[in-house]
Amino acid sequence: MAHGWQPNFEQLVEEHQSMVFSLALRMTGDRGLAEEIAQDVFLELDRHLRKMESAEHVRFWLRRVAMSRSADAMRRRRVRCLDLWVEIDEGHGMQLEPRISPLGARLEALLATLPEGQRAALILRYQEDLMPEEIAATLELPLATVKSNLQRGLKLLRAKAERHLSEYVRVKEQASGA
Amino acid sequence: MEEFEQELRQALERRSAPASLKRSVMARRNARRPQGHAVMWQRLAAGLVIAAVLGGAAEWEAHAREERRRGKAAREQVLTALRITGHALNRMNEQLAAHGRGQE
Repeated sequence: MAHGWQPNFEQLVEEHQSMVFSLALRMTGDRGLAEEIAQDVFLELDRHLRKMESAEHVRFWLRRVAMSRSADAMRRRRVRCLDLWVEIDEGHGMQLEPRISPLGARLEALLATLPEGQRAALILRYQEDLMPEEIAATLELPLATVKSNLQRGLKLLRAKAERHLSEYVRVKEQASGA
Repeated sequence: MEEFEQELRQALERRSAPASLKRSVMARRNARRPQGHAVMWQRLAAGLVIAAVLGGAAEWEAHAREERRRGKAAREQVLTALRITGHALNRMNEQLAAHGRGQE
């Protein structure tokens, strides 16, 4: 174990389960699959625990592996945007948590319709609050690609929100009227 | 754009993991532990089988080498016997020829 750091696996699961599960959920849009991915990620962490050098290293590793496993799962399942749109319209999408506003939930569902690269960049930027340099390191992509994905993803998501979410337009109008 | 980004940041707050997640991870981890022992035994068994096969092959090779050595020795003995016989026949021929010349 390098640097005398003694990780406790159970504590690491407790501490990071919400992060790993949320990353997988937002990448796949499927709670069952996200839980499955999160389990696999933690079991892989258990196998690599000796190589972990610090708490920060674990956090970085978990983000990178969670994103990579989610992308693999998405490719395998080939989730189509059309299916997701049906879910949004019928209100059967991701389960709502009480603290999330309906607008927030719909915005989250719209995020699932973005291209994979843009979605990944936005999730790491706005869920994990990472800087573009950190996102590039996590996704092992050039910084320019990440910046482009962030910019295009944000623009596309905003356009979709204005087109499809009447609540968002109403909130905006109320805000501009006030 | 800032207002939209703020809305997005709120929408993308981390979700609570299902209560079953940690339980499942720990159960799968514990279930895997005995498999580690099973793998160790499998490796040991495979090692023993490989050792037995290699030992058998070495034994067979030693046996084949001994057979070849014996065959070679037997051939040498036959050739020596043939050489002695040939030599005796030659001497006999020479004696018969000398005897024939004496009678003439």
